Amino acid sequence: MAESTMANGNANTSDWQDRYYHVDQVLDRPGPRTDPSFAAGEGVKDFLRNKCKILVIGAGGLGCEILANLALTGFKDIHVIDMDTIDISNLNRQFLFRPKDVGKPKAIVAAEFIMKRVPGVKVTPYYGKIQDKDDDYYLQFNLVICGLDSVEARRWMNATLVNLVDPENPESLKPLIDGGTEGFKGQARVILPTISSCYECSLDMLNKPTAFPICTIANTPRLPEHCIEWASVLEWPRVHGDKKVDTDDPEHIGWLFQVASKRAREFNIEGVTWSLTQGVVKNIIPAIASTNAIIAASCCNEAFKIATSSAAYLDNYFMLIGTDGVYSYTFQYEKRDDCPVCGGESMDISISKEWTVERLIDTLTERQDIQIKKPSLSSGDMHIYFQAPPQLEQATRPNLEKKVSELVKDGGEITVTATTLPFSLSLRVTFT
Amino acid sequence: MLQNESQDIEQASAIVQAHAPDSKTRRYDRQLRLWAASGQAALESARILVTSASATSTSILKNLVLPGIGHFTILDPTVTAPADAGNNFFLNGFDSVGKPRAAEAVPLLRELNDSVEGVADTRELESLLDSDMGREWIKSFSLVIAHNLSAKTLDRLAELLWEENTNPPLIVVRSAGFIADFYIQVHKHCVIESHSETNPSLRLTKPFPALQAWADSIDYDEVDPTEHAHIPFPIILIKEADAWRKEHDGNLPISYAEQKLFKAQVIARQKKLDEENFEEAEGQAVRMWSEKPVSSDISTLLTFASPAETLPKANYAFHALLETLKLFVSHPNGPGALPLTSTLPDMRTDTESYVKIQKMYKEQARAENALFKKILKEAFPDLSIDEGLVDAFVKNAHHLKLIRGRKFGDFDRQRTELQSGLEIFNKEVATHVALSALFNLFSRGSDPTSITPESLRAEVNTLVGQNSAPLNEEVEEAIDNAVGEVARTPTADIPNTAAFLGGLVAQEAIKLITKQYVPINGYCVVDLVGSWTGLVGQPPA
Repeated sequence: MAESTMANGNANTSDWQDRYYHVDQVLDRPGPRTDPSFAAGEGVKDFLRNKCKILVIGAGGLGCEILANLALTGFKDIHVIDMDTIDISNLNRQFLFRPKDVGKPKAIVAAEFIMKRVPGVKVTPYYGKIQDKDDDYYLQFNLVICGLDSVEARRWMNATLVNLVDPENPESLKPLIDGGTEGFKGQARVILPTISSCYECSLDMLNKPTAFPICTIANTPRLPEHCIEWASVLEWPRVHGDKKVDTDDPEHIGWLFQVASKRAREFNIEGVTWSLTQGVVKNIIPAIASTNAIIAASCCNEAFKIATSSAAYLDNYFMLIGTDGVYSYTFQYEKRDDCPVCGGESMDISISKEWTVERLIDTLTERQDIQIKKPSLSSGDMHIYFQAPPQLEQATRPNLEKKVSELVKDGGEITVTATTLPFSLSLRVTFT
Repeated sequence: MLQNESQDIEQASAIVQAHAPDSKTRRYDRQLRLWAASGQAALESARILVTSASATSTSILKNLVLPGIGHFTILDPTVTAPADAGNNFFLNGFDSVGKPRAAEAVPLLRELNDSVEGVADTRELESLLDSDMGREWIKSFSLVIAHNLSAKTLDRLAELLWEENTNPPLIVVRSAGFIADFYIQVHKHCVIESHSETNPSLRLTKPFPALQAWADSIDYDEVDPTEHAHIPFPIILIKEADAWRKEHDGNLPISYAEQKLFKAQVIARQKKLDEENFEEAEGQAVRMWSEKPVSSDISTLLTFASPAETLPKANYAFHALLETLKLFVSHPNGPGALPLTSTLPDMRTDTESYVKIQKMYKEQARAENALFKKILKEAFPDLSIDEGLVDAFVKNAHHLKLIRGRKFGDFDRQRTELQSGLEIFNKEVATHVALSALFNLFSRGSDPTSITPESLRAEVNTLVGQNSAPLNEEVEEAIDNAVGEVARTPTADIPNTAAFLGGLVAQEAIKLITKQYVPINGYCVVDLVGSWTGLVGQPPA
């Protein structure tokens, strides 16, 4: 095999003979199920190794694994974004980090590690938010892989890539591969923006976050979690005013733990521990290296198949449960016509004629398929209720008490927006 | 006396936990939430032997070193080839070429976790299998993992480890390109903490006396409205069951129509529309016809219980506990059911009632725990057993699991099983036999270049049996797809497949070592062209 020089890699590093002996077995010939369009041989290798540009969102549990897999399979121009720094609790799985790296930016440490270990691969880190980057930035990539633990960041990335699609320009469609894990479970999926179901289409598949009613916390605590919520939601602001809880500060956790323990003793409730206190206030999700390895491998395998056409890619969802044997399910998640991001149709909502605007807002924030925080509502030119700026909030506040049916006619449309989301949701309201 | 002791332990650990966790606990926090200190201790005392430093092998090891196993040895006589340096993250790129592969990989794995011991061993597995000392050495590990061994060597290794049921389990991993499977060879594997997500019985159809007395003491018409809205759902259901039995010759609802009526009866007790405790009782009413004194899974398990004199040496304690459980269920002073759970779900009620019902369950569970220990002592007077183990067993009695495995390759030696497997799980079994065919050909000295769809197909025919009835179209296609894919990549250990297997196999190893969660029993088959996994070759019941 001829030695080739990298277009984007370190100019002084070359691929040694047989470097890609294993991967090339897949790239040199098709398998029985490979699409006929697959052009085996040098062309596909050249694209993968010299032309393809891939973006990885997140350099944490999944991100570290994703970067290593991409580098070994022959992607040589990899970019990575992460806004976090390394914590000691990352070291049980984020295998590119060492104790000496605690406190440093994940994206930078991970990129340096990969470049050192896998010669000729260029990893460009960005230590910051995905929201810092504009459309032009995202347009430069062929593929995007997300290894995130935040629903909000995923929704933003998903909506951004859907909005990027220009029907006149096929290059504007960036396949998005998304992975997620929790304990022994995880999922990987392939999203072709505007073509297959997107992240927003399946929002109601997410587990509902455990929220405890405030009256339970205040009046009838039963579980240790209720006592911890009491300490963090009610007692902390009462005692500390505007100062926020820093969930990484052991003194803050210690304070909450003491207060929660005291309340638990008063009510004869057992089970408040330091670990549980931290788990509840930080909303900690158990995470292990092995599950991240499976899901990251799955994501990278799909990226590799899309980039090379060496095999069909996942259509479109793979979920895995490893708690009882190995159970997995591969299926096609259906696109939703009324998906606020990729559907194009407005979402129908049927409410009582008596409902106030405030009630509607509460309902919207509770709905699993919408999951919106602090929504602002308008209809046509009319501001129904706006969360910000303060003047507008003040001006629209009286509407909260009004009935929706006084402001919008039956079958009318309400536009819902929120600062956390890069899209607006269109509701068609009917009254009962 | 024993109870006081365990209470003291509880208090002591509560004091320890009052302080911020140490750095080790912080490092392992996200995994301790899955397998707790007991699982971590098991990992830390595990010694694992891996028979190569292939990309798949090091990927598996990475996921075991990170959570903190005690020790690993990589047995690999080969020298790093340029191809190894290209696909293995735990080699130093081209710098490792020409150096012993095991010795190159070990330091890069060890640096993932200071507390893990790692050794590179360049001896040949075959020659170790030839000597008594070598065989004893292999058996001294707590788990052996073998990736892509030739069929002959693998059979010898599997044979050795199957000889005694006290030998370490063996995980066999085979892969070629996008295709793979793996198997756990273990005689018996007992799981006390399966972490099952099913709800244990609250024994509402046959309440213990204190609970029944509480239900009897409540008169819906006498209690004030606040109390009425806070009656815990178990009490409501017990009362309604009693009322139903009176009207139905002592029977509980059976037919779907009756179940619907029962639910309607529950919800009709609401005095106000928003009494959530009654709504909850309606939702939980299913317990009245699904809860059994002994669940069917555990009934099956109890058929494997055997009296003291015939207990197997391996897993002796577990089997003693299983026999005790059987005696407990039929004991005249016992509840005629599995020991009561002491963990209650949250319910719509006030603090006082919740604490009260929780205390009742705890006290009853404690009494039953004491009875269990009494029976254990009578049945096994000489058994010395850890108190904590007995407590864990009783606590998890509803979710026990026993895996009864078989020798590696038994599935392949049963043609009828392979044939019927192909009919039902065509692509899964086809993938499995395609890999078996590949490693059979290799062990007969076939050169990788001589591996073709045809040569593999011929071997598959030999495995499955040519004289069997003609295969249907779907099976034919599944076999063609599998052998075609394997022939495309007969020696490829591609990084994504290696990483995928690295995760799956490490999960299984962790489950085996911690004895928590439930490992597979059979072959887990992986096809990363179709992005699916499946399970075939479970031992017949």
